[in-house]
Amino acid sequence: MTFSKNESLSSSNLKALQLSYLKETVLRVYHLVPFYKKKFEELGIKPSDINTLEDISKLPFTKKQDLRDNYPFGLFSVDMDQIVRIHSSSGTTGKPTVVGYTEHDMDIWAEVMGRVFTMGGLTCKDLLHNATGYGLFTGGLGFHSAAERMKIAVIPSSTGFTSRQLLLLRDFGATAITGTPSFALHLAEKAKAEGYDIKKDFKLKVGFFGAEPASEGLKNEIANIWGIDYIEVYGLSEIIGPGVASSCKHSHLLHVNEDHFYPEIIDPKTGEVLEDGERGELVVTTLTKQGLPIIRYRTGDITSITRVPCRCGRTLCRIESIVGRSDDMLVINGVNVFPSQIEHVLSKINDITINYQIIAQKKGYLDKLEIDIELSENFMSDDVNEFNQLKKKIEHELLNALYINVDVKLVAPRSIQRSEGKAIRVIDKRAN
Amino acid sequence: MKYAIKQLSVFIENKAGELSDFTQVLSKNGISIKSILLADSTDFGLVRTIVDNPERAKAILEEEGFSVRFTNVFGVKIEDVVGSFDKVVTALAHENINIQYTYSFYEANIGIFIFSVEQNSFEEAIKILEKNSIEIVSASHFYA
Ligand SMILES: [Zn+2]
Repeated sequence: MTFSKNESLSSSNLKALQLSYLKETVLRVYHLVPFYKKKFEELGIKPSDINTLEDISKLPFTKKQDLRDNYPFGLFSVDMDQIVRIHSSSGTTGKPTVVGYTEHDMDIWAEVMGRVFTMGGLTCKDLLHNATGYGLFTGGLGFHSAAERMKIAVIPSSTGFTSRQLLLLRDFGATAITGTPSFALHLAEKAKAEGYDIKKDFKLKVGFFGAEPASEGLKNEIANIWGIDYIEVYGLSEIIGPGVASSCKHSHLLHVNEDHFYPEIIDPKTGEVLEDGERGELVVTTLTKQGLPIIRYRTGDITSITRVPCRCGRTLCRIESIVGRSDDMLVINGVNVFPSQIEHVLSKINDITINYQIIAQKKGYLDKLEIDIELSENFMSDDVNEFNQLKKKIEHELLNALYINVDVKLVAPRSIQRSEGKAIRVIDKRAN
Repeated sequence: MKYAIKQLSVFIENKAGELSDFTQVLSKNGISIKSILLADSTDFGLVRTIVDNPERAKAILEEEGFSVRFTNVFGVKIEDVVGSFDKVVTALAHENINIQYTYSFYEANIGIFIFSVEQNSFEEAIKILEKNSIEIVSASHFYA
């Protein structure tokens, strides 16, 4: 069952719809947002130059910094009398970014979140325990408003107060939960510690998780512990909040609500648009938003797009779970490598920790990658060969998984330089 | 286990200052190094050392962040005749005992060979040497 017929349009109908929305959005930003008009003029383009979906590559990118530079409301395309909701990101570095929604935007948000809830099988009979943070952050209220519109009973539990959350989860008999994957694990640990029988005491059948990356292993673990379907929800406040994409019950890939949010994958270094299947940075253009329409927003998230049909019957394209951040991407002899992928490989090998440091250097024309890895505190041997075998094993695993040749150097526990408690991951000594 | 000398194996990185950091930690704490052997790889070193107070040395080194492990080794007095080393090696080889590594040092004008064999054939090695009337140095000889 789907929530909206737009989830299973034919490719040609979908494209026609996207193009008409795109033209409308381009006209809107050109005439109503001075920032975009200036950008268009600098590039020498006019709204009339956009005649096909491919023409989108002529349009300028929007970066997080552009939102900061126009703080707080400079990129809004409507007056404040039209705005019904404002959210903002925490500005740990620089100014916060601010986003605004019109009534129409709230409808769209409810629409895409309705699709997400439907992917998880929710109906008005369900009870949703919303353990996502409420406040300026789009998470909590994003789930909340949409659930209410679907007449799903919402329990606005937010985060924290774990013991009480468990009590309410059991006594109210919630059938669905939202939150971060780490909070789901934390709740399970606490439930065990407090003597709950997880599968008997709780009635959960599905969980909607997002806001932080989770490996396939972690997703399966959460699904198994709670006995639930794991639905991954992707979103970012600059676009709308949760609901940009989400996984269905049939695969770990996430359907993009591309009739509202047009996705492209680009090479983060050159800005060039990549083919389906290639990994690069996700760029999103809002097609239907009014308050804060955004053209080609650089999400910084690395993924790839596939248009292989999904068994659930939806025709919306799908993206992989985010594999990394473009800021962290390293290009080693033409191969894209993300620290998160290296971490994943290391986490499966005994006798070492995942405290590592990548040092990239040029050797002639070639890139040379060294990885220093801290030994586990429990590992020590009197045999030089044992160290060499461990080193060889790690090099072999990295070559197999990531197609990169690395020189692994085993180092003593706690010897890698830390910054605010975290090991400094990447040192790039190549002249760029 | 009268003859089992607790040798410390310590992992150190192959960079300037690492070895002296290690020796300084011991000397600062009044632990005397009887013997030291450095097994090198290009990236790291494995220091094998016999000290006068192995338990305390291990605790102190671990507190300083070194990875340390005990390995039992035994010492044989070097007799002042040609072939004394060979006698030990031959006796062990005869009974299929593998010598992993060996090193020697002098203390108070007595030369001592240190042998490391696989840990599960340690007891057997000692029996063979006793049978061959080879003089093994008792571990307490090294400890303060
Ligand atoms: Zn699907």
